[in-house]
Amino acid sequence: MKEVELDCMGEACPIPLVKAQKKLETMDGGDILLVLIDHSCAMKNLPEWARKAGHNVEIEELDDGEWEVVIEKVV
Amino acid sequence: MREKKREQFDVVIIGGGAAGLTAAIYCGRARLNTLLIEKSLMGGLATYTNEIANFPGFPEEITGLGLMKLFHKQAKKFGVKFKLTDVKKVDFSNETKEVETFRNIYEAKTVIIASGGRPRTTGAENEEKFLFDKGISFCATCDAAANTGKTVMIIGSGDAAIEEGTFLSKFADKVIFSVIHDTGKMDCNEIAKEQALANSKMEFMWNTIVDSFEGEDHLKTVVLKNLKTSELERVDVDTCFEFIGYLPNTEIFNDIIELTDQEYIVTDENMYTGVEGVFACGDVRDKVLKQVATAVGDGAIAGVEAEKFISETEVFHNQLMQKEKIGFIYIYSAIDSVSRELLPIMKEIEDELKDVAKLNVVDMYKGKRLCERLDCNAEPMKIIFTKNGEIVGNTKDCSKNHVIGKLKELAAK
Repeated sequence: MKEVELDCMGEACPIPLVKAQKKLETMDGGDILLVLIDHSCAMKNLPEWARKAGHNVEIEELDDGEWEVVIEKVV
Repeated sequence: MREKKREQFDVVIIGGGAAGLTAAIYCGRARLNTLLIEKSLMGGLATYTNEIANFPGFPEEITGLGLMKLFHKQAKKFGVKFKLTDVKKVDFSNETKEVETFRNIYEAKTVIIASGGRPRTTGAENEEKFLFDKGISFCATCDAAANTGKTVMIIGSGDAAIEEGTFLSKFADKVIFSVIHDTGKMDCNEIAKEQALANSKMEFMWNTIVDSFEGEDHLKTVVLKNLKTSELERVDVDTCFEFIGYLPNTEIFNDIIELTDQEYIVTDENMYTGVEGVFACGDVRDKVLKQVATAVGDGAIAGVEAEKFISETEVFHNQLMQKEKIGFIYIYSAIDSVSRELLPIMKEIEDELKDVAKLNVVDMYKGKRLCERLDCNAEPMKIIFTKNGEIVGNTKDCSKNHVIGKLKELAAK
């Protein structure tokens, strides 16, 4: 089980979501993807999509307006 | 399986709506190390309401999201930590409570459940498109005024549906009920039914369920299906209210905490759930009115009670169950003169045996829960003896000679 970091700082929607979706496809069940974002719309659509897809999601606020979205892939 | 990381907190609050955030403000301000866990976005159900006009202090009206952002900001100011994730499991069976998310296990001295609930929906086509501020509402108190002179539909015929419908009929011109049952049959009580049938603004469409919701940006038409004839009927409305039940978010507390038949958490007026160190507040509780204003009141009580519980636990372990000397805990009632007059006698006993015995005094009214922990229902007074941090006996005979005799006996053992 590996942990992969995806830095999407400074990137606007829907780029973080698309990048995260592509990355997750290459990963195995149980792997963890950490997505760093600072665009508040990604903080909504990324977790929403991931939850709907059945993955485990946790969001951590690193600083004001900076978040880390933690996604555990569930297959 | 990945090893879950453990973290320790004084208080873990489950749910970041009005109740949870208020509890967080109180706990944070009491300088408790507090963690709040919210499964989706901070603010809870209130964020789905466009205008909050009845929360005191905001005469210009404020959006639900705007108000909750202020709550969040205030809690942050007091040092509360936040996690945005789902709680998967809880374990309240030990003194240290455990709250588990998919990556962590949080250990807490006390837990406040503010997980709220969600309105039950019909599941009809396009429903999601119009939920909350786009034409499908779940709260007459919130949206009645906006429907003055308009036509509204209500789904359901239970007590809540009729009660809210009656309220709405004071504003709207027409209130149309979609009722699933045969003509004249409703789920509400008989008195409400009679009143509803006599209300000239109310109309009933029997044997119907919602087939779909239609409109552009905002709901315009509700398409009802007649269960007997399968015919579809299009009804134009300004707002559709659904009152077909409310689902509290209590799935993970099943079998752990007492729930009502409708699965709300049962608490006393101090938000205590009956499980030591676990409190519940807000919409998840079995209560009469679910509003931001009542959630705030609940949250404040839960926060203060959690703080009290923690300090009582410390008193219990560090003072009452001290291990240095033989302990005698005098439990008395401050309003009872006989037991009050014995207080100086107790002090005398401690002075006489000061090398071996330590006195603690508990007023059973102020320290009601301490008495519960001591498993003591003394009327009007009682002494509990401890040795090495454990209760070793008790007596209702509080005379000086008897107590001294008992203490010497325990010291000699």
